[in-house]
Amino acid sequence: MVAKYVMLADTTRCINCKACEVACRAEWDTPLGYSRDWVKEVEYVNAKGLPEVQLFPGRCQHCDDPPCVEVCPSGASWKREDGIVLVDHAICSGCELCVPACPYEARWLNPVTNTISKCTFCQPRIDKGLQPACVDTCVGRALIFGDANDPNSEVSQLLKAKEWQKLVTDEVNIGPNHYYYTAGKAIPDTVMPKLNERHLSGKLMENIVNPLGTLGIGGMMAVFLGAGIKKLIDRRQDVSNKEGSHEQH
Amino acid sequence: MSSIKPTIKVRTKDVIAIHWFNAFFWLTLVLTGFGIISGDFVRLAPAFWPTFLQNVLGGNANLVLLHGIGGMVWAGVIGVYALLNAKRVVLPFLKNVLVLTPKAAIADVSSMVITLAHLFGLLKHKSVPPQGRYNGAQRLLGTMIIACSLAIAVTGMYLFLSPMLLDFAASAGVLGGVFRWALVIHLAAVLLVLLGLVAHIYFAVVEEPESLETMKSGEAEVAFIKHHNPLWYAELEREGKV
Repeated sequence: MVAKYVMLADTTRCINCKACEVACRAEWDTPLGYSRDWVKEVEYVNAKGLPEVQLFPGRCQHCDDPPCVEVCPSGASWKREDGIVLVDHAICSGCELCVPACPYEARWLNPVTNTISKCTFCQPRIDKGLQPACVDTCVGRALIFGDANDPNSEVSQLLKAKEWQKLVTDEVNIGPNHYYYTAGKAIPDTVMPKLNERHLSGKLMENIVNPLGTLGIGGMMAVFLGAGIKKLIDRRQDVSNKEGSHEQH
Repeated sequence: MSSIKPTIKVRTKDVIAIHWFNAFFWLTLVLTGFGIISGDFVRLAPAFWPTFLQNVLGGNANLVLLHGIGGMVWAGVIGVYALLNAKRVVLPFLKNVLVLTPKAAIADVSSMVITLAHLFGLLKHKSVPPQGRYNGAQRLLGTMIIACSLAIAVTGMYLFLSPMLLDFAASAGVLGGVFRWALVIHLAAVLLVLLGLVAHIYFAVVEEPESLETMKSGEAEVAFIKHHNPLWYAELEREGKV
């Protein structure tokens, strides 16, 4: 069976040391100010009136139905069979149509390469049988990565053993493959995915240019197919009329 | 007894060659272009087509390269041909085909509507106004194709070359924004031309195969011109060519 890679984040074990972010930046040599992963801190006052902090390590969620792949005009954004969403830098134009399409804000234009960067679950490391850099470096074992289709994998065992949640809402539910354990606490809204305003040019292409063009070309073909059929019928009629008049003579 | 219909040379070999060159490159560029766009939201062809073409060519990068180089060869050859033959071919063609005034556009649209209605046995009482070398529909199509081809060539070059040559990230989103709008214009122009080409191919193949023959041999039947393009026939008569 093909692997289905997932990432688990046990928020109760995260200590916000940022080792994952540092490891990721070192692994991918991301420019200063940019990172493929992050840890969101959410502060709130709990039921006892005490201040509390929840920590949410995040990155590309490698969704089952990734909108970033759907909107990419060049096919540079694509999804491997094992569920990893990748960017083919040789053909990525850097047009950024995919950036607002991602409700997890996991994509950004790399100022050095001029192409889109994002978490790849460290795909080259995985292909060599290693763990992603962030998982390898996580000092609290808050991040666990593996194949959910392998019943013997650690992620499969943990998925069965604990109550995991995904970052999904009624509005955004695109099958993320990143799970969170919060020990029963609700996930705050600030961490949840949000639909971003898409680029006007992208919306125009998606909702007007392409449907109108396709309908128009289909319509024209139908019209001229009709005209051709009518011409054929008229010709047959003419021939039979002529044959009829010959027989009368 | 063989009956040879009198003909007249109306197209030179180079014009015929550039027409078929254009047709061949259009077909190739449309097929490869539709293969590049893979995402469901923006895809124009059925899903199997990009997958098939990308597999055949060993990946989308090769397909993009083929489309980009093909586009530049198409634009380059036609551009050079137009420059070298501006006076002899291009300017007379533009004079005949460009619809630039609202009055001319209304007249051509009206002529086109009557022609199309006649295909379905409608508006029989209205006759198509006498036509010159190109009829109303051909002039409208010609104007649209010229405008769209220029837009396709310019936007296509930007789409292909700008990611390699320009620094999108340093432009604060401006160059990327231009790229996205270029993509919209490129697609819209291609779809507009395809709309027109459906009619163009139908008339050439089904309704007036004589014009297709002319685009192969360069010769047109005098009787056909007299019947279909009386104003042009009168012009040829004045010039002593028929």
